[in-house]
Amino acid sequence: MEQENDLSLITRVLDGETAVYSDLVKRHQRFVFTLALRFTKNREDAEEVAQDCFVKAYRALGTFKQTSKFSTWLYSITYTSAMTALRKKKIVTQSLDDDENSFQLPNASTDGQSDSVEKKSAHVYLNRAIDSLSADDAAIITLFYKGEQSLEEIGTALYMETNTVKVKLHRARLKLKEKLQYLLKDEVKELI
Amino acid sequence: MKTIEEQIWDYIDGTGDTAQQSATERKIASDSSYQKVYQDMLALQLQLEDIAIDEPSMSFSRNVMEQVKLEPAPVALKTKTDKRIVLGIAAFFILAILAILTYAITNSHLSSAKFAVNIDFSRYLTPTLIKTFVFADIILAMLYADSLFRRKRIS
Repeated sequence: MEQENDLSLITRVLDGETAVYSDLVKRHQRFVFTLALRFTKNREDAEEVAQDCFVKAYRALGTFKQTSKFSTWLYSITYTSAMTALRKKKIVTQSLDDDENSFQLPNASTDGQSDSVEKKSAHVYLNRAIDSLSADDAAIITLFYKGEQSLEEIGTALYMETNTVKVKLHRARLKLKEKLQYLLKDEVKELI
Repeated sequence: MKTIEEQIWDYIDGTGDTAQQSATERKIASDSSYQKVYQDMLALQLQLEDIAIDEPSMSFSRNVMEQVKLEPAPVALKTKTDKRIVLGIAAFFILAILAILTYAITNSHLSSAKFAVNIDFSRYLTPTLIKTFVFADIILAMLYADSLFRRKRIS
């Protein structure tokens, strides 16, 4: 349904209704921004990359073949834009394997926290754990779980073989599991 | 050889084939080590499905549209030639050919057509001419092959 809507919006833009492009931007901006954030690790840079991505997509809209999802095409532009930005700014992405990169844990409240606080805290841990993954791994996790992209589509967006994506996804999840176990252990220690 | 984790992730993601899926399902049901790993991964899976998506600034779409306004409007990459022009040119050539043919047929006297060809080809088809012709052909074939290989390499 959404795919049809995307295509009809694109057709209208190509027919001269350029203002309709804002609907496409509003529909995909959150995910493109999140994906950019996985690479840049910085909100300002991510916003710049995401804006650049939408402008590039607008310029190249006439070349979109409409044989794949618009979102997959958009994510591949996001990936190349983010890579270009990273190369320009020489941002060093951090890996979970690097012990020096262990992140600061938020202070756990000890006064009988409610479920929502616990859930929020779990989200914070998970997001931080994802942030500490390598850019590719974080992007694959995000695209797989929130971008409604198949392994093949992720491969297309990130210019990787499907099998490579599958292996990277397995490894990223294992790293996340280890990291979350480590975090939970620390949380229990703080509670004691 | 896949590890237990890989087998179980394939099972959870549904990326294995039917035989693998049912084999993993049986192992999870019968083997406690598989059962434990499966429970751990299922918990992580649920957490990952609940990842929060970040929100850009309020002015994000406005900023994009301001930049987009400066760009030329995109157009679909398809032939924009008016078909009437193509049809007009085709009609002109067809009419011209028909007119020439009609003129030629009405002015020809087929009964008086007698051709007397008295050309001595042996005077012109000399070995030097044939060699030159073959040499030019070889050069053309090499040029064609070169362009063909170049195109293949680019694609």
